[in-house]
Amino acid sequence: MTRVILRRLFSLPFVILSITIITFLVGYLAPGDPILSMMGSRRDPVTYERLRHLYGLDLPWYEQYVDYASGLLQGDLGLSYRYQGRPVWDLIGNGVFVSVQLGLAALILSLAIGIPVGLWSAIRQNSLWDRAGMTTMLTLYAVPSFVLIPILRWINYQFYIHGLPSLPQAGWGRPEHWVMPVFVLSAASMGYIARLTRVSMLEVLKQDYLRTARAKGLRNRRIRWNHAFRNALIPVVTVVSPSIAFLVTGTFVVETLFSIPGIGYLSVQSIAQRDYPVIQSTTVLLAVAVLLMNLVTDLLYMLLDPRIRVEA
Amino acid sequence: MTSSKSRMLLAVFLLLLFTFILTLQPISAQAEGVNLRWSIEGITDLPSLDPAKASDSQGFTVIGLLYGGLVRLDGDLNVIPDLAESWMVSDDGLVYTFTLREASLFSDGSAITADDVVWSLTHALDPNTGGWTGPFYLSNIVGANDVAAGSATELAGAVAVDARTVELTISQPSAYFLSQLTFGSAKVVSKAQAEADPTGWENAPVTSGPFQVQAWNHGQNIVLVPNANYWQAPTIATLTMPFIQDSETAYQLYITGELDIMGSQQNGIPAVHVPDAEMMPDFRSTPLFAVRYVGFNNTIPPFDNVNIRRAFALAIDKATLANDVLGGTVVPSDRILPLGIPGSELPIDGLSFDPDAAKAALAEAGVTPETIGQVTLTYGVEGDNERVVTVLQAMWQENLGVAVTLEPLELTTFSARLNETYQTPETGIQSYYSVWGADYPDPQNFISQQLRTSVGNNNGHYSNAEFDALVDEADVLTGDVARRMQLYNDAEQIAVNEVGWLPLFNPRLNILVRPEVQGIVFNGQGLIIPDYSALTISAGA
Repeated sequence: MTRVILRRLFSLPFVILSITIITFLVGYLAPGDPILSMMGSRRDPVTYERLRHLYGLDLPWYEQYVDYASGLLQGDLGLSYRYQGRPVWDLIGNGVFVSVQLGLAALILSLAIGIPVGLWSAIRQNSLWDRAGMTTMLTLYAVPSFVLIPILRWINYQFYIHGLPSLPQAGWGRPEHWVMPVFVLSAASMGYIARLTRVSMLEVLKQDYLRTARAKGLRNRRIRWNHAFRNALIPVVTVVSPSIAFLVTGTFVVETLFSIPGIGYLSVQSIAQRDYPVIQSTTVLLAVAVLLMNLVTDLLYMLLDPRIRVEA
Repeated sequence: MTSSKSRMLLAVFLLLLFTFILTLQPISAQAEGVNLRWSIEGITDLPSLDPAKASDSQGFTVIGLLYGGLVRLDGDLNVIPDLAESWMVSDDGLVYTFTLREASLFSDGSAITADDVVWSLTHALDPNTGGWTGPFYLSNIVGANDVAAGSATELAGAVAVDARTVELTISQPSAYFLSQLTFGSAKVVSKAQAEADPTGWENAPVTSGPFQVQAWNHGQNIVLVPNANYWQAPTIATLTMPFIQDSETAYQLYITGELDIMGSQQNGIPAVHVPDAEMMPDFRSTPLFAVRYVGFNNTIPPFDNVNIRRAFALAIDKATLANDVLGGTVVPSDRILPLGIPGSELPIDGLSFDPDAAKAALAEAGVTPETIGQVTLTYGVEGDNERVVTVLQAMWQENLGVAVTLEPLELTTFSARLNETYQTPETGIQSYYSVWGADYPDPQNFISQQLRTSVGNNNGHYSNAEFDALVDEADVLTGDVARRMQLYNDAEQIAVNEVGWLPLFNPRLNILVRPEVQGIVFNGQGLIIPDYSALTISAGA
């Protein structure tokens, strides 16, 4: 297990290097630059060229890249173009914090609701509870966040105008600001996890070893929790990692629509503004997050089923 | 499952939960007193609080609240004294002598001197500052281009005669120079603070205007409190300006009582909510000092031919576009100057919708829909643009029989293409759908700065010698306002006849302001606070 961790961690810098090169080239090849984006419709060719020079945008791409990469090696993410010389870390540091909070909360919520609902549905297969639960979960999975948000807002607004307790429609800083975004962000993975847990639990419950357990006279509760549940969780753990990636991309929409100062918000904007240092840094951060999550997933596999051996 | 393994699994879950709880921050206390909440939409944060570095309307809105200039605009868009109590203009119209208010102080209590004014103007032009608005708006000051080019460090045309007297010398007489000085790049910052902390001052600036910064919560909001040293200090307790990327979100916050003003930045109330909003006493609406238009590349076929440009202009039914397609959220226009801007009171004989005349113009140009070749309209993907260009395409198809190809581009890519078209028109785009909004309320900002031969914004390289002569005379004419406006009007008529631009409509800005908010004027230039001390929320209303 230690070897797996070490090998993965060793490969991390190389993965990051490739990611920075690819992101850099894509950014460099995209039409336009931060100066044009900043100047908008006011065109002043002389000032434009002067500013390109000042920001080093007139250098060949490899020189710009080497400048950036050598900064990165020293832990310096560079300076933002758009936010006039503010260090990138200063810009995204707080945002990362907020996005991680939001993502974790959504992950916890989707696991805390998705798994029990799935298990219960499996145990009570084809009951009214099973049908209602799975319909709800399928709906949550299928409805995209940009549809779910207006629906929730409309409901919330009805509460507000009728003087009932309501939530803020957007914003950040107070506990009640969390409710809607976390729910929206967790909705899809909650639905997916619930359905997957149900299917996988049903599959496990049909297995021979459980029939044997039953034949031995073990109590149902013990069979379910001690013998079935753990094996049923393996496929669920498998999807947790992709669903983290899903949460990360989901934050783009959710953070923008709920006006939350995370990095999803910032990364989308920096693409439109060609703020290369910010684009680079957010991409690298997200990539590292996904890589680490994959590693955690692999380790969890081994924990759940000792037969599984993960190749580094 | 063995109990040790299940405990480990539980531990992983608890670890996740614990990490999450650790990251929670304590809740900050809410401010007491009258707190005005005014949303700044379309951004997630302000680029900078240095007036020389601000680059978008949102930034300049905040800059305008923080810093004073020599002059500013009143509610009727007249230039009025701000930090300067008065000024004199020399007979040749070249030398402006400003006298600063007596005992004028920055927010930290230090004196605002002529030195600060000169330093601020120079700073806005200095290439190392990295801004671009200074070189654009202050270029008329003698020596401005040398400072901007880095060949001089002192601005020759700006002299601090004594502590309270600033003398600005300009290169050519100009009726709009004072208007240009109302723009953000001419605001006054504290030289002492900026020199003491060249990189950090802008995060917590000493201010010269009605407000100062209490807190700038990056990515969330900026909280302003009155600057008691300003000559017209506000009386409200705080002004909180949350940054809200999405107009829909701002609208939702407004209707649930979390904002007092929304929509004054960027796109206003989202179009789908306008019918609901119109019923509210909070609703305010005005045509903006902006025009949406189709620009043509005048250097390559087919639009190097004036008759083809006329045919395309005559084939557009702007009333249908404005009323049926855009639901009356815009005002159709046949002219370059927006409704309400000085100079627009003089009439223009526009090219109104006439399909027969359009076909005749195309015939006169000697082309048919078959021989005209490929015609492409390029546009940036944003807001209603898609809808508008689709309708234009349909109208050209129906009324001229010409099939126009639409080329959608992401906004910055669109800017890049326009820039290339300006630099190398022969390989540039054929036509484009764009917008221009006033930086200051003067016809020069539209007529001369957009369509005079080879000026930086004339992307389509429209050129007419008579037009140039008229605007050149008008630009330097001072004193005789009526004649100056007439010159612009004559020039505008030429540009309309020759379709330098094909103007389509003036967008309306629809915003929401609580009826209790007093002291705000709303016009084509946006929200203006004519008297900061009168800005308040009246409890009785």
